[in-house]
Amino acid sequence: MVEGLSKRYGSIKALDNVSLSLTEGSITGLVGPNGAGKTTAIKVILGLLLPDAGRVEVFGQNPWDNEKIRGRIGVVYEKSFFPPHQNILEYLQRCCRIFGVDESKALDLLKTVDLLDHKHQQVKSLSKGLLQRFSIGHALIHNPKLVIADEMTANLDPQARASILDLVLQLRKDQNVTFMISSHVLPELSHVCDSLVIINKGRLIASGKISDLYEKYTAASVRISAEKTEELAREIGKLPYVKKLTANARDISIQVEPGKEQNLYEDASAIARKIQVKIYGIETANASIDELYKQAVQPNNGG
Amino acid sequence: MVEEDKKKGKPFLEVLSATLQEDYRFPVLEVFAFLYVLGTFAFASFGSVSFVSQTSLRAYSAFSLVNSIAGVTSFSTLILLVLILKNVAYGFGSDLERGTIQTYFSYPLKRRSILTAKLLSAIGLSLLLFVTVQITALYIIAPQIVSSYLSTVVLSYLANLSYFLIVICITILMTLLLKKGAVTLIFGIILYFGLYISVSFASLISYAAHSALALQIVSCFSPNYALGLYLSSNSNPIFNVWVPSYAEVLSFIVVSYSIVAALLVLSYYYFSRRLNL
Repeated sequence: MVEGLSKRYGSIKALDNVSLSLTEGSITGLVGPNGAGKTTAIKVILGLLLPDAGRVEVFGQNPWDNEKIRGRIGVVYEKSFFPPHQNILEYLQRCCRIFGVDESKALDLLKTVDLLDHKHQQVKSLSKGLLQRFSIGHALIHNPKLVIADEMTANLDPQARASILDLVLQLRKDQNVTFMISSHVLPELSHVCDSLVIINKGRLIASGKISDLYEKYTAASVRISAEKTEELAREIGKLPYVKKLTANARDISIQVEPGKEQNLYEDASAIARKIQVKIYGIETANASIDELYKQAVQPNNGG
Repeated sequence: MVEEDKKKGKPFLEVLSATLQEDYRFPVLEVFAFLYVLGTFAFASFGSVSFVSQTSLRAYSAFSLVNSIAGVTSFSTLILLVLILKNVAYGFGSDLERGTIQTYFSYPLKRRSILTAKLLSAIGLSLLLFVTVQITALYIIAPQIVSSYLSTVVLSYLANLSYFLIVICITILMTLLLKKGAVTLIFGIILYFGLYISVSFASLISYAAHSALALQIVSCFSPNYALGLYLSSNSNPIFNVWVPSYAEVLSFIVVSYSIVAALLVLSYYYFSRRLNL
């Protein structure tokens, strides 16, 4: 979909040779710190910005000034701007006419995004949260096959966030809609996304299925409950794949290199037998998505 | 085929309708301007008989009549200028500045159609309104002059309008480049009067240097000046550094409209091919 994309704003490299692709029916999270290039990437994909180099294809076509593919894309901008003096129901009905959709869809969508009580308000009188909901409804008016959302749940209360994320999952399930969602709220993304694209300082740091990224970037954390933990920890600490180790009277927390959990089970058991220490239990704890993100954007990991 | 064309036309009309609603949502200024201009002309029509009887029916009087109603500094033209600059700067410029244009870009429309909708809304309606008012007023005030010197009246009107259109087109281009509503509004007003003042400077330079070059350059964007020199050539021969021929006047009018067309093409090209949002 995007290949070797580069974009500069004066001396600032907003995008530097970024390549990524979306699978049909997938939900992909686009993450990165502020100023990483997420919005620039989205704008290039939507045909709002011309890249300095690289190729973009959406549904097999160049998105720049291509009105044909716009009928298949729904967009939620980070900051939504609609003509301010339009009544929201009338404006959605106008959008129905623009896309050749039955006008009754406008009311259905207002109901979906919980804006029915505000249907006669003008756009300019909506609060940030309500405007965001309106923007989501606006993006879905024409049954898009791809939805690109920049900070979709920003300004929403927790209940509205949950219902919007449920809606995303429902649309994927019922209509096989593909989503690309840029967000700073990582736990939220981990609930809905299959894969992640992590960019930092305009460069692609990592992309792929979330499970694969966990394996690649996070150290597996293993906790061993045992007697004589101090003695056992001293011996385990000598193992070459152990990255970090802390012990108290009852437990030893160990971080190992990705994929080395099984080795630790076997080696720890062998050590315990050798020094005659009884192990009560061994369990693995998964890193959070925040930890995955922090690891990925660390300078020595490419970030 | 017809059904498909209808489908294609609908998004354009819907966007045009939305932009018209935004640009003319509170048309107090427009209504005030319309009534004021109409009222002025209605009162003027009472004196039209004496005006005609006291003025010899020469082509120059037709030219002066058009200038008094639709000239660069006439009141109705200034109202039109304020209206259009307000629509271009605050309507279009603010859409670019705030990002509303991005919303229009999510609809199945070519960029050029979006620009056309914005320009028709920002300029088309006000221009149509005022051209109608001015032409009607011309006929009400001096029907004899208009009917006797129709070609001069038409040429004078076209020559005045091209100057106005050049200023508007440059302002549109600046709006696209700067994406700042307030800045382009100020720019447009300064440009309008700046160009007008430059005509006086060009005259001074020409008289001092006994060279027609400065006047010819000025006539490219203000062909009304060349037309005035052509029509008044017999009345003030001493001051005539340059007396253009009728063909030259026509050429300057064509050149000025070519500048308008070129600026519009440039705006469309930039908006369609280069404008990053």
